[in-house]
Amino acid sequence: MTEVVVGRLADFPAGTHKVVEAAGREIGVFNIDGRFYGLPNLCPHQTGPLCEGRKVTGTLTADCDSDWNPRWVMDGEVIACPWHGLEYHVPTGRCLAYPAITLRSYPVTVRGADVVVTVGGRRA
Amino acid sequence: MARTSLSDLLIVDADVHVHESPGALAPYCDGPWDVALRNVADVPERYLDIPGFSPGGDGTLTARFPTSHEGTRMVHTPEQMVAELNEIHIDLAVLFPDHLLKLAVLPQAGYAAALARAYNAWLVDQWTSRHAALLGAIVACPQDPEDAAREIERYADDPSIVAVYLPCAGLDPLWGHRRYDPIFDAAQNAGLPVMLHSVTVTSPVFPFNNHGFDTEFARHATSHTFAILANLVSMVSTGVVVRYPELRIAVTEAGISWMPFICNRLDKEYLERRREVPFLTERPSHYLKKVYVATQPIEEPERLGDLITLMELYEGEDTTIYASDWPHHDFDHPMKVNQVPFSEAQRRKVFGENSLALFGIDRTGARR
Repeated sequence: MTEVVVGRLADFPAGTHKVVEAAGREIGVFNIDGRFYGLPNLCPHQTGPLCEGRKVTGTLTADCDSDWNPRWVMDGEVIACPWHGLEYHVPTGRCLAYPAITLRSYPVTVRGADVVVTVGGRRA
Repeated sequence: MARTSLSDLLIVDADVHVHESPGALAPYCDGPWDVALRNVADVPERYLDIPGFSPGGDGTLTARFPTSHEGTRMVHTPEQMVAELNEIHIDLAVLFPDHLLKLAVLPQAGYAAALARAYNAWLVDQWTSRHAALLGAIVACPQDPEDAAREIERYADDPSIVAVYLPCAGLDPLWGHRRYDPIFDAAQNAGLPVMLHSVTVTSPVFPFNNHGFDTEFARHATSHTFAILANLVSMVSTGVVVRYPELRIAVTEAGISWMPFICNRLDKEYLERRREVPFLTERPSHYLKKVYVATQPIEEPERLGDLITLMELYEGEDTTIYASDWPHHDFDHPMKVNQVPFSEAQRRKVFGENSLALFGIDRTGARR
């Protein structure tokens, strides 16, 4: 298990994300309302640069409760792969189109003014 | 045995798109149409949607929600194209247009023909003559088949032109109509294959009367595949495939999974209705199985081996050709096709060797 300082807190304002390198891996670090998440910058579909998607958005859902009408949900929590649009819920790593797929997540912590990513641990 | 890595394979990409703009084509365009092109040169462009040039964008009908999916990638220069294709291990690529995917919807035959001539000249001058890896498909204007035939004759011996692109989106009548015979005659004489390529449009003509669908999900899925199905059925049922026996035919951007269906469906009809197509001397599937089928957008079943079964059902080991559709929103990285558990011989054929036969080129892209 390796802890890597990937930047200063000021480099990751709330509502933004960027791809950093930590221990030889490309990891997308997301700041969603002050909560930090780390996901691999690699979409398992066709190896697209998942976390290079320019903006984290919401997405649409529809179910019985909405009388099958679309609702905008998970605002600020969804990243779509820039290559083919496969969507993932950042806080959980869950793939929205294929629920059997969940991305591994890298713990991201704030230590003083540093943002620290932990890599090489057991699969989350 | 270890799977051949992408960098060790010859990869020929049968479908890649350049981005042509009205302003870029204007200097190559005959009057008075060049005036009209300059007039829309600065019109803000929605994706593949410029008034008076490529009307009716597929993304303009449905509500537009934000996403990080980069659905509007474009390639503007040969240098950009070569660099990006290198990234995905493509060795040789056949170039198609962006906007002129919708050429067939333009109602003015004179304008459409002038656009086709301008695009062909621009393609050779600005792209295919600039880099050996970039090969071209000239566009055949369906609104003026005689002019299209002259264009095929004009480029018949161009070392960088390896195919004739037949637009399918919004086409009326379908490519089997005898009005198009001059195009097939010219292509056969030139030794150039014809390649059918569609795109999403909503138009009154079959099978683009897709306004009944709520979603791009539905329109996109059908605009490509149904158009290819409709045109192949047309070309078999009017006898293009027997009138031009040496003509090589390829289809793009429809995946492969419909091929077993249409082979079996037409063979079944033929049992009962042979007398309507008396020029066919073999079952319809005999002709369909000669058609080259580009893989993109390759179906992605959970068992990728199912794709081999599908390919075997249309005896497609020698006719299935890799295509990426770079840079479009649904492009296929070759890594996905390389995950299919092909035999090594099948892998080499699908990724490159079949396309060498289709385009009549050697491994450097030189025409034979």
